[in-house]
Amino acid sequence: MKVFSTLLLAGLLLLMLEGALATLLSPPWCPDLRLLAVISIGLRWRGLAPGLALAYLLGSAADVLSGSLMGLHALLSILAFLSAVFAGRQLNLKGRFPLMAFAASVSLFYGLALYAVSSFFVSGIEFVPQWLLENLLHSLVNGLFAPLVFEAFSRLAVWAGADDSSERALFLETSRGPM
Amino acid sequence: MFGFLKRMSAPIVLGALILLALASIVSDRSGLRRADLPWWQGVLLEVTVPVQKAVAIPAGAVARVWHSYLDLVDLRAENDGLQASLLDLEETNLQLREALVSSGHLEQIVEMRDGFEVPMLPATVVGLDVSPFFRSVLVDRGSEHGILAGNPVITHAGVVGVVTRTSDHAAKTMLVLDRQSAVDGFVQRSRTRGMVYGRGTGEPEFAFEARRGDVEVGDLLLTSGLGGVYPKGLKLGEVTALSDPGGGLIQVATVTPAVDFGRLEQVFIMMRRGPGMSLLYETGEFIEPARSQVETRGEDGTAALAGSEGGL
Repeated sequence: MKVFSTLLLAGLLLLMLEGALATLLSPPWCPDLRLLAVISIGLRWRGLAPGLALAYLLGSAADVLSGSLMGLHALLSILAFLSAVFAGRQLNLKGRFPLMAFAASVSLFYGLALYAVSSFFVSGIEFVPQWLLENLLHSLVNGLFAPLVFEAFSRLAVWAGADDSSERALFLETSRGPM
Repeated sequence: MFGFLKRMSAPIVLGALILLALASIVSDRSGLRRADLPWWQGVLLEVTVPVQKAVAIPAGAVARVWHSYLDLVDLRAENDGLQASLLDLEETNLQLREALVSSGHLEQIVEMRDGFEVPMLPATVVGLDVSPFFRSVLVDRGSEHGILAGNPVITHAGVVGVVTRTSDHAAKTMLVLDRQSAVDGFVQRSRTRGMVYGRGTGEPEFAFEARRGDVEVGDLLLTSGLGGVYPKGLKLGEVTALSDPGGGLIQVATVTPAVDFGRLEQVFIMMRRGPGMSLLYETGEFIEPARSQVETRGEDGTAALAGSEGGL
């Protein structure tokens, strides 16, 4: 419970921080810290049901603060979380570069899914090539920031009492050695 | 039994959460818009605003210093150009005033302008949407200040967007750049009417009737007031490119917004919403804000806005 509430609070704080940061670094240059938090929880945490709940709650919070349809970020956060869980089990994500590439890929598909689901529910949304470029840039920025957020969340989870043995994919070189 | 439930807990939670998310999307799309937010969303907005303010204000100060430095680089050339423009404008202004006075219309226009006075509330932008797909901002004024969903948001430069949701001390504003935004506008020079649609990028588009439209690059676009959201005469932007209609009925022009959304810090919320918004949202009454919180437009801002409302 302590791990759950700690990660939830940290995720919410990141969500608020990214909104303020966006006043300085306008989209697509501002990283989606909340999405990175969801991915890192998916890579880090063994408990699937609480992880899903965390992803849903963080997604819902993003829906409240953003201009999206209510439930859209929540739905896609669940999918992003599941993809991270799957990747953590099936892929070798040791090292910074694979993690960055994975985070960038999830961000890219997250953006495309935002478009697809929005188009399904809202009529008249046309495809704009310039947006695709912005989405690509946004994904790369997310990839660059990914190791920082992953490391912070990994340390936070351990601090909150998460079992080190629950570590699946997140082998980051920290001062405490590989976890 | 318990073992089975424990094994199935993740699929059950997954199914339940996906259903919940889909239900939220459908209910949001079903037109059941509420002026007020559910309590937990209100709490989240209330907590978010001070946190974002604490980060955004120092960050904004740093950005201003940087932008000031960049602006200084070309200051001299720009200053010379502006002074030349000022002389031209003063001359033109004098001629126009003279023409108005001589035709006896000036007093009528002043009376009309007073009739259009809309109280406005200054607000600070504390948060932006990070996703390139959605374009919205969070401002630090809410329903306690008299703000309702549907109130137009502007700056001295032009239209920013419209308030979509409010909590006690925060309001979510959809920008004109958002894909769901559509504003009825017209070209100031030729009076060609059309719609300005947000595309989710930094440049909205102006769609107008190809055969009868007279639109050129450099034309200024203003709100027509016919959409029921924004009053007439607010600046929307400038036409920067025209597409080839290719025999189609509708031609599209690319628009550079009048407002620099990359540097959006202070905005004004118009405290009276249009009839379209009153129909859309449940509560239609106009709430008079506290007098001390309302900034009535001054001489410079008032003249530009109110003059346009009169159709000039």
